[in-house]
Amino acid sequence: MRYKEYLRDQLPAIVTHILSMLLCVVFLSAIDIQASIISILLVFWILIVAIYIHIRFFLRKRYFAELLLQLERLDKKYLISEVMEHPILTEDKIYHRLLKAANKSMMEQVSESKQERKEYKEYIEQWIHDVKTPISAMKLLCENNKSDITRKLMAELTKVSHYTDQALYYARSENVEKDYFIKEVSLSEIIHAAVAENKQLLLQNHISIEINDCDNTVYTDEKWIGFILNQLIANAVKYSGKEPKIGFEENSKQGQVVLIIRDNGVGISESDLPRIFEKGFTGENGRTGKSSTGIGLFLCKRLCEKLGIGIAVKSESGQGTQVELYFPKGDFVKVQE
Amino acid sequence: MYQIMVIEDDPVIQEELSVLLKSNGYEVILPKDFFNIISEIQKSPSHLILLDINLPVQDGFKICSGIRTFSNVPIIFVTSRNTDMDELNSIMLGGDDFITKPYNTSILLARIASLLKRTYASEHAEVLTYQEVTLHLENSKIEYQGNSAELTKNELKIMVFLFRNAGKIVPRADLVEYLWDSQLYVDDNALSVNITRIREKLKSIGVTDFIQTKHRQGYLI
Repeated sequence: MRYKEYLRDQLPAIVTHILSMLLCVVFLSAIDIQASIISILLVFWILIVAIYIHIRFFLRKRYFAELLLQLERLDKKYLISEVMEHPILTEDKIYHRLLKAANKSMMEQVSESKQERKEYKEYIEQWIHDVKTPISAMKLLCENNKSDITRKLMAELTKVSHYTDQALYYARSENVEKDYFIKEVSLSEIIHAAVAENKQLLLQNHISIEINDCDNTVYTDEKWIGFILNQLIANAVKYSGKEPKIGFEENSKQGQVVLIIRDNGVGISESDLPRIFEKGFTGENGRTGKSSTGIGLFLCKRLCEKLGIGIAVKSESGQGTQVELYFPKGDFVKVQE
Repeated sequence: MYQIMVIEDDPVIQEELSVLLKSNGYEVILPKDFFNIISEIQKSPSHLILLDINLPVQDGFKICSGIRTFSNVPIIFVTSRNTDMDELNSIMLGGDDFITKPYNTSILLARIASLLKRTYASEHAEVLTYQEVTLHLENSKIEYQGNSAELTKNELKIMVFLFRNAGKIVPRADLVEYLWDSQLYVDDNALSVNITRIREKLKSIGVTDFIQTKHRQGYLI
């Protein structure tokens, strides 16, 4: 609150006083009161009004400063009407009431939206679980009737699985905390599982796999890391080039296990590289005929953050891509059996 | 012959699972009545149970606890819900393994095989013989009339698959897939190279024309 603004607000009162003074002067002059007495009266009058206006200014200023400070300190600013002191002045009371009512209706709206969102999320999760049954059935049907066509179908089904998983993990990724289970897993096991998962996709696209000494173990959640590897393999397949290859390699320094996933695909251009983890970012590759959702890597990044895994991508356009996963050091004591 | 009971309410999955298991040399028992599932299990004992969690009448967890009151048969939970709570529950209630849909058949079969191996002492003779050619699995040697040659990991797996399908034409794609299932990521060219090497080794122990190439179809022993 500035002094100038306050004075402008007080203008009607000041004008009223000035008018009263003029009337008084006219009246007192009319009944032959000495000018000196009139001026003493005026001086006192002006003094009293000025003092009143000033004191009120400081009081109001202090009141609002405290309110603003309270607002500043509040984490959830919309709760200000709940925590502020009850105002004394009638006008302030009315504003307070307004604020409270507006807040209440907003809170109701928010909780309604939250509820709707929760229900929708539950439905999505349910739907994904339901759709997995027919996917399993189709996979088994293909498996039991092997031919070139069913092999192609299996590769397509693998993609469908990827998309459903993506949706599931997206729905879940906000509260990973509730759903993980850290245990010691061997790197080679999770790599082999991910390759097996994508077997048809890799075979159909004639991609050769190289796995070099991944015999260390890491402490992580098997399911989540499986999902991350799945995404990375799917990307490598999607953006593969001539004589496609995917290599898995472990590179550990000072107790930190680093898994490197390397492909020789189309790579990522330098201008796109910093933005690949952004949600919905599709980049050049996404625009040049390869459909991309911009969700896969965003999810990978998010899950890695939750699991404490560092993720870095190095790539040059046309030279393939290299993803590095830095697993957290397992610094707790192993239970001796 | 191991008998496996498949408890699964989706008819297509149940049927296809039994086809898959039968073609991999298991006998399959399918319960009909989900209301008296426990008594069905008691009536027809099996070596292993594949148990779905989401079932009508009562869920897999309850059934598992029920089974554990009278039997220690190995149980693999199959589910489309892959929450860690489910995994924990299944292990706490006495399940031996846990696999999520849509599962990969090679992984499922591998889990079944290893669980059976763990539970029942191996009854397999680790030797395969066909037309006087013998394959020793534990030391990966191939033998004919007293002469033997050593095979590499890839070569051994290729021979195992051919022996198991002896007399049938084995498509190259099937062979490659089988190798992939055994975590040997061999491509088409490498397969040809491996077959050539195997033929050379066979020749060195006095076997010729054991593996025939059927043009555009695959291999045959």
